[in-house]
Amino acid sequence: MRADRPPLKSATYWVADALEANELFFREGWTDGLPVIPPTEEAVLSFLEGAGLSPDTVIGVEPVRGRPISVEKVAINAVMAGCRPEYMPVIVAALRAMCRPEFNLHGCTISTGGSAPFLVVNGPVRQRLQMNATHNVLGSGNRANATIGRAVRLVIINVLGGRPGDLDRSTLGHPGKFTFCIAEDEEDSPWQPLAQERGIPEGASAVTVLAAVSPHQVMNEWTRDPRELLDTYVAAIRANMLTYSIWAGNYALVIPKQHREVFAAAGWQKADIREYVFQRTRVRRQEWREVGKASLVSQDNADREYTALHSPDDLLVVAAGGPAGGFGAVIPPWFGERSVAVTELVELP
Amino acid sequence: MGLIVLDPVYREERERHRLARALPSLEGRTVGLLDNGKRNSDRLLDFVEEALRRDYGVREVVRVRKRDPSRPASPEVMASLQGCDALFTGVGD
Repeated sequence: MRADRPPLKSATYWVADALEANELFFREGWTDGLPVIPPTEEAVLSFLEGAGLSPDTVIGVEPVRGRPISVEKVAINAVMAGCRPEYMPVIVAALRAMCRPEFNLHGCTISTGGSAPFLVVNGPVRQRLQMNATHNVLGSGNRANATIGRAVRLVIINVLGGRPGDLDRSTLGHPGKFTFCIAEDEEDSPWQPLAQERGIPEGASAVTVLAAVSPHQVMNEWTRDPRELLDTYVAAIRANMLTYSIWAGNYALVIPKQHREVFAAAGWQKADIREYVFQRTRVRRQEWREVGKASLVSQDNADREYTALHSPDDLLVVAAGGPAGGFGAVIPPWFGERSVAVTELVELP
Repeated sequence: MGLIVLDPVYREERERHRLARALPSLEGRTVGLLDNGKRNSDRLLDFVEEALRRDYGVREVVRVRKRDPSRPASPEVMASLQGCDALFTGVGD
């Protein structure tokens, strides 16, 4: 670290060893319920190097409560999460994105709806960090995927005060609140990567953040017709509009290789998928009668048609998943357009 | 030997907010009721307004509704509450 860097400001605690550090952190409510790597000064300094930023740099300010997110606190929480120093630029980009007003970080953190930031990483940084875009992509097994998402969660807990039962009022939450981060399989995809579709130049890295509820896995291995295949995803989106929220917002589709091959054979690009899904994901309010929500159906709104997306561009199409199996995922938004997906450039030091 | 570990928690560097001094009485006062925009929050505040007028002698009640419960009140909403001596708000659901 440079000799002229500002000193660290965080308070320090003496503990006998890593086990005792964990007991302290559990006792104080500073973890997500899993053990952490003790954030020693030496480790935190190496993470500041990884970010290439001064510890007092403010990455962003959570707009409602006005809480600044400093690089120092992010580095501490990233050490705890089990990250490596070189992951820092991705974490910083994700948090910058989350501090944009349109992401509504406070609302999606505290809501009873219980969302989690879903992170999609694009560009060369995926390979540099050896991120996973294939087998078990929404599950466990890859250090960068797991710990980058976890670092964001620990920042929400420790810097923003998003502790369950405190500011975080989630009724259920979902498993993605431990970690919810994937890479797109750009090398094995016929399509333009998500970040480039959203304005990031080719060759640059970026992270896209969506306040999302739990993924809904779909299965279709029995058609070569792209429309039929999408009808399965559409059914899951419509189910979400009936059983969860009817309001339009950013949905994400995670499309595995086996499904991508069907689309590629038919010459379908992501734009074709977005247009088809936009046209088909429609629900009339009167359908709420069939799912136990008749009290919200009135003469005035019964025939009103609702769309899952305000426009085709609201749909995030992500190529990811293992090489075999007709399993994809619909990842619905937290609550319509109350939070909007944001894509942020990853700035490498 | 041992380890020295760093505090992961954000701590306010200075006091950013201070509680206002409580009013000795609501008699003859103007009270704002800020509806957070959730379904049925208006019904809860109807009840509060009734109680304020009936039991506490409140002179005037200013009712304002936020457009979105998960976002802060707009500057216009806050400006409309400037003349109030006290304000009730909360999450109705």
